[in-house]
Amino acid sequence: MLQTKATSPLLGAAQAAFLGGPVAINLASHDAALVPSIARAFGCRVSADRLEVVVFLSQPRSRRILDDLAAGAPIAAVFSRPATHVTLQLKAAGARIQRLTEGDREIMLACGAAFIAEIMALGYSENFSRALMAPAGDDAVGVAFTPEAVFEQTPGPKAGMRLEPKP
Amino acid sequence: MTPPTLRSLRRCFEGAVPATIATCAADGMPNVAKLSHVHFVDDEHVALSYQFFNKTRENILLNHLATVEVVDPVSAAHYCLQVEYLRTETAGPLFAYMKARLAAIASHSGMSKVFRLLGSDIYRVLEVVAVSGNVDADTPPRANLLSGLRACQAVLAGCADLARLLDTLLEGLERHWDICHSMLLMADPDGKRLYTVASRGYAESGVGSEVYMGEGIVGVAAGERTPIRIGYAVQEYRYSHATRERFAASVDGYALETEIPFPGLAEAGSQLAVPLLLGGRLLGVLLVESAEEQRFTFEDEDALVVLSGQLVMCIDYLSRSADLPLEPAAPASSSPPTAASQGAPVLIRHFPADHSVFVDNDYLIKGVAGAIIWKLLREHMVAGRSEFTNRELRLDTTLGLPDITDNLDARLILLQRRLAERCSFIAIEKTGRGRFRLNVSRPLQLSVAAPH
Repeated sequence: MLQTKATSPLLGAAQAAFLGGPVAINLASHDAALVPSIARAFGCRVSADRLEVVVFLSQPRSRRILDDLAAGAPIAAVFSRPATHVTLQLKAAGARIQRLTEGDREIMLACGAAFIAEIMALGYSENFSRALMAPAGDDAVGVAFTPEAVFEQTPGPKAGMRLEPKP
Repeated sequence: MTPPTLRSLRRCFEGAVPATIATCAADGMPNVAKLSHVHFVDDEHVALSYQFFNKTRENILLNHLATVEVVDPVSAAHYCLQVEYLRTETAGPLFAYMKARLAAIASHSGMSKVFRLLGSDIYRVLEVVAVSGNVDADTPPRANLLSGLRACQAVLAGCADLARLLDTLLEGLERHWDICHSMLLMADPDGKRLYTVASRGYAESGVGSEVYMGEGIVGVAAGERTPIRIGYAVQEYRYSHATRERFAASVDGYALETEIPFPGLAEAGSQLAVPLLLGGRLLGVLLVESAEEQRFTFEDEDALVVLSGQLVMCIDYLSRSADLPLEPAAPASSSPPTAASQGAPVLIRHFPADHSVFVDNDYLIKGVAGAIIWKLLREHMVAGRSEFTNRELRLDTTLGLPDITDNLDARLILLQRRLAERCSFIAIEKTGRGRFRLNVSRPLQLSVAAPH
């Protein structure tokens, strides 16, 4: 069972920093018939108290999942760093859709640029890398949620392990 | 807008960009995970690799519906596939192919110790949706692929014998397809090994070298009767000395030709092995290689499978025409056999246990080809014969030809080429359909070696 109300952050400082780094971010939710919806997010910020995570979605590319989240469905978000395969998954019983606030667009663009540099260093072409992150300039919304469970998801023996709060 | 077909997304299934899968637990909590690759099965099915028993797997066994997002590696366009889990395969051609591809991806990404295929999960694709805002990349189709295929197959039909056919094919691959490293192996009817009869682009031809069924990329493609294409070097699919020894040790006391090294590239970045199938019968394997990573696409695979189909028809046609009446022998084209009296005799030793033949203490060949050359040399010495027919070899039970399905022509090609590479004074010359001549230009001394 997930915790219903978090009062102290599940995310440690290093984890929070990881979420804002050069990571691929993918979200999932579902509709009333439990058909999963999926979308890529473009950047992330974590509140100073690490209780809230906001990820940014391109509106035109994410209609289904935004509908599902607006209807109150739960959310899962996976953050994976291409160079190291280090992966974390966060889950919450629900999420709030909000307009971008001041500085959000800059975060989206900076996260996009960092991700482009990361994957180009791995050998992906510049054209591909830029096209992949181009939606960071789309009409966008923030999806805010309070992580109620954090899972280690780096491929290997510990994948899937639920992580306990860290200082 | 018409929804894209699964087939039109095949570039997304090359494993170049990780995909993502979303599933739902019984309590409705979603789960989202990265996938190393999504395998295109056919127009309605994909297969995903099952590597760990994780949340994704737990979820799909309960709620069969999942959504997979794939990314085009050129345009970065995203597509969502709504899929339904059907079953898991843990053996067979699809499993073998996915295992090889996963090993290549793992090796490339430094995850060899982590990624291991436990099963191929087959999903039906219910819906394909292009994520809105996708921008098509300006990628003209490889127009030269189809014309290259046409050019390659056009010349096959004109080949009057197997040696010419195989060489023409490999030349055509280089000329029309820019595939500069290739080889053809024929299946031994014993079902346990394949032997190299032709190659192109290697320092040593490797003709006569053998691989076990199941060993390396050729052996797996042969054993599972499936093409296998990998875009990165993978240790376990290579024919390194260490791997071969380990593999040989796992197969019951069956002597493999290991004296002749396998000709493949030591540092192949890409490999594609295509089985040559006549109905359900395996004739051999075509292997192409490149030092470049990701050199061969699914389009190359499709085209090579088509070309191999044509090749098989030609091989079958030639082997049937071998049963036609003999052509009259052509006149001798090279030095007459009387030249054999020149110089000191060369010692030719034969070991009956494995039919290995040594020329002046240098290894020449063994197995069926060894038995054939020994018979020819004996007849030459005892009866002074130089002219022979395929038919008499086929009828000679002492040669141990496995059965009538054996491609005797392929054995003779291998012997002829091995002699050309290793022995300047014994040559086999084809003199017409079903006929050949043994040219010996030095005196020989034949000796049967005592058992070890």
